Amino acid sequence: MEALVHIDSFRMVFGDNTVISDLSFDVRRGETFGFLGSNGSGKTTTVRALLGIYRPTAGILHINGKPFSPEDGSRLGYLPEERGLYKKEPVIEIMTYFGRLKGMGRAAAKAWSLNYLERVALAGKAKIQLDKLSGGQQQKIQLGVTIMNDPELLILDEPTKGFDPVNRRLLMDIIADQKKAGATVVMITHQMEEVERLCDRVLLLKNGTAEAYGTIDEVQNRYGGRIVRLKYSGRIPKSPHYSVTLEENNYAELTLAEEIDEALILRELFDAGVKVRGFTVTKVSLDDIFLEVYGDQNVAYHREMAGV
Amino acid sequence: MAQHNLGTVISFEFFRTITRRRFWLGTLAFPAAIAVILVLTVISNITTNSTADAQKSAQFSIAYTDDSGLITDQAAAMFGAHLVSDRQQGIDGVKEGTTDAYFAFPADTATETVQVYAADQGIFENGKYSAVAQEMISQSVLQKIGSSQLATMAQHAATINVTTFQGATEAGGLNSAIAPLLFMLVFYGLIMLLAGQMVNSTLEEKENRVTEMILTTLKPTTLITGKVITLFMIGLLQALVFALPVVIGYVFFRDALNLPALDLSHLEFDPVRMIAGFLILLGGFSLYTTTLVAVGAAMPTAKEAGSFIGVMMALIFVPFYVVGLVVSDPHAVIVEIFTYFPFTAPTTALLRNGLGTLGIIESIIVIAILFICAAAMLRLAVSLFQYGSISYTKKVPLRSILSRKGG
Repeated sequence: MEALVHIDSFRMVFGDNTVISDLSFDVRRGETFGFLGSNGSGKTTTVRALLGIYRPTAGILHINGKPFSPEDGSRLGYLPEERGLYKKEPVIEIMTYFGRLKGMGRAAAKAWSLNYLERVALAGKAKIQLDKLSGGQQQKIQLGVTIMNDPELLILDEPTKGFDPVNRRLLMDIIADQKKAGATVVMITHQMEEVERLCDRVLLLKNGTAEAYGTIDEVQNRYGGRIVRLKYSGRIPKSPHYSVTLEENNYAELTLAEEIDEALILRELFDAGVKVRGFTVTKVSLDDIFLEVYGDQNVAYHREMAGV
Repeated sequence: MAQHNLGTVISFEFFRTITRRRFWLGTLAFPAAIAVILVLTVISNITTNSTADAQKSAQFSIAYTDDSGLITDQAAAMFGAHLVSDRQQGIDGVKEGTTDAYFAFPADTATETVQVYAADQGIFENGKYSAVAQEMISQSVLQKIGSSQLATMAQHAATINVTTFQGATEAGGLNSAIAPLLFMLVFYGLIMLLAGQMVNSTLEEKENRVTEMILTTLKPTTLITGKVITLFMIGLLQALVFALPVVIGYVFFRDALNLPALDLSHLEFDPVRMIAGFLILLGGFSLYTTTLVAVGAAMPTAKEAGSFIGVMMALIFVPFYVVGLVVSDPHAVIVEIFTYFPFTAPTTALLRNGLGTLGIIESIIVIAILFICAAAMLRLAVSLFQYGSISYTKKVPLRSILSRKGG
């Protein structure tokens, strides 16, 4: 059976510019999927093509086994990167309108909206014109419109953009609730801690192709696997079992070779006379992986600044 | 679901428009201005009539000389005027203050000027002298004619009815032109008032970044069609609001306003011309609406769309540069071009249809052109909106949209 989202050999060309070349991946029903990439890597283009906003140059882009059509939009929640609503209308009218477009009755849409506004502490703003609200409040309204009618598939493009930490937490709770209710979530974000916390699988898009694709564990293993965070005094010996990726005053990070036992590393350090005060084994963070994958993009700039 | 959403779009777009204070300020400004003009006209007419009456019956001492022999004793007595022997005596009397006015009636009052010399009473009050002099002549003439029927005929033009024939069929004349020409008036009114709103209807989604949210819940065809239908409904509402003071004025204040007593029973409604006029109006409105909606979808801001509105406005007035030809030689080449060029067709064809110079075949061709072009423009507007309206900050190149449609 085809996954909820199925993309195969997708290619997108604008004029002479190939934005996406031969991209394939699936998003399984019920999972939270992180779609990652640097600015301009083609994430938003892929989502727009998936939702029929762009016409793909080639390839298959399916939701629920067929190309997406707005008629199937009643169970889709899409929070675009470029977002906004009708600014001159009262909040409740906007929410009711979108609820009705998603197939809800007027009364049901209005009741749902009032309930949501209560939850996000905007109960008193129902009749206020949207542009009278703060940016953060408008974001909450936008999120409400996105999750109306219990979406089966949520596609969130930079969902936390414009949210303060408190509201970011609220947003994450709401997303978690949707997931609990059975929604499949596709998140496009640069917030790697959110990805690590929420996502089951990720895809790193680079230059229009999949640089990495799999569970977070699989991706972490591919980009260095485990790291030992070491607090110590003395001199760290050279070893084929690890490489020193960071060395500061009495602190170092060692990237371990695959399959090596951490206890063996500790033994080697003791044997070399290193006084170990802290020894923590973690996996390489997605943040570091992101930097490793996309760090070369600004090489030219750094070289220029350094006068090389 | 698409059908359901069309109704949802129309009700949302219509009610949010008519619940805006701005909409009613704009819509009511016109009838309010008309109402103010009506009130001022009524007051002015009442004042003018009473002033004219007062002036005609104004009492002041008058001396006169009459070289024409026209002024009767009764007419002179009516105004208390007394005859003086010569012109100089009359003028001296005014200068000395013994009489208020002196009228010198010439030998031929039809070709020569009646000279009035009078004590100055100010610019407005001085009008009473000429009013009384005129009234003395009128009364004298009436008395000399001695027949009220002849007097009425002398004072008013006779009512003449012209009946013409096209072959064996009686032609309608002006009475049959008025009703179909109203379609042209309606067309102008709607386009002038709604052009801005037509452009903004799609620009709003773009400027507010609503496009992507909309495109995942609604087919662009449904959205654009819903907006066009809404514009029709708003146009109809505005037309009704504008018509209201005219109807009220005509029905209740016709006498006070000196409106011509139009006898509607003489108006002729040629069904062919009425249907043709309605369809040309509908087709023309559809074409202009879809075109301006397409402009809104292609332009990034209202400011940049403004120049296109100017062009469209110019196009509906262009046929008036050749209005003389449209009336006198409707088959001149330039008139034919304007009749069939889609953007000048509505006004030219509506004018010709009103004047009865647009044949049935020509009407069918014009209507077909307008509806086909409107349908094509609707498709283009939909494509521009679907593939172009997410180009939030730049104009959408038409070529890229057309190539996308092709590919």
